[in-house]
Amino acid sequence: MGSFCVSITSAKNDPDKATVGFVVANAAVGSDQDTMVFLSTEGVWLAKKGYADDIEEDGFAPLRDLLASFIEAGGKVYVCSPCCKKRSIDETDLIEGATIVGGAKLVEWLANGSPCVTY
Amino acid sequence: MGSEVESFADGWDAGDLGCGELIVELRSRLKALAPGERFELIAHDPGVREDLPAWCRLTGHRLDRSEPPRYIIISREDP
Repeated sequence: MGSFCVSITSAKNDPDKATVGFVVANAAVGSDQDTMVFLSTEGVWLAKKGYADDIEEDGFAPLRDLLASFIEAGGKVYVCSPCCKKRSIDETDLIEGATIVGGAKLVEWLANGSPCVTY
Repeated sequence: MGSEVESFADGWDAGDLGCGELIVELRSRLKALAPGERFELIAHDPGVREDLPAWCRLTGHRLDRSEPPRYIIISREDP
């Protein structure tokens, strides 16, 4: 199985990018790729419970459904630790299936040869 | 019958430090160790739980124990 990384740096400041990032992540995990979404900077809000519930872009599935299907399919959601800290988001605020990590986790994933696309 | 007292070549209480700031400082502290020496890290950042195993796999240091916020690292052969 190949691996794939989708880096998402936007939330409600650019819901179009946040949504398309998760659409691509679903495409990757649905194509049998070991897939991680890395949420950093504003993107970390997407992993906060309830935050994504009202993001529904025209022409796309609601973000909450994209998130749920991605996690259900075995995709991993990693959330940047210092980006959470800056925004006073802690582990108890996160949706089930999201994990707080630091940069080494991302470095390892990419150093093993994973492609990465950023939104 | 007495409990064994653990010994470490060095240790560091990183407090709430995490991510790249912790990693680069940890690297320099491990560099000062001889091969096979044990290092005790205290780190409260929740990201360290996933980061430290990844960092050890990348660098060749060995994570002997992970008991957050306490981690025991064994220095690689060529620190």
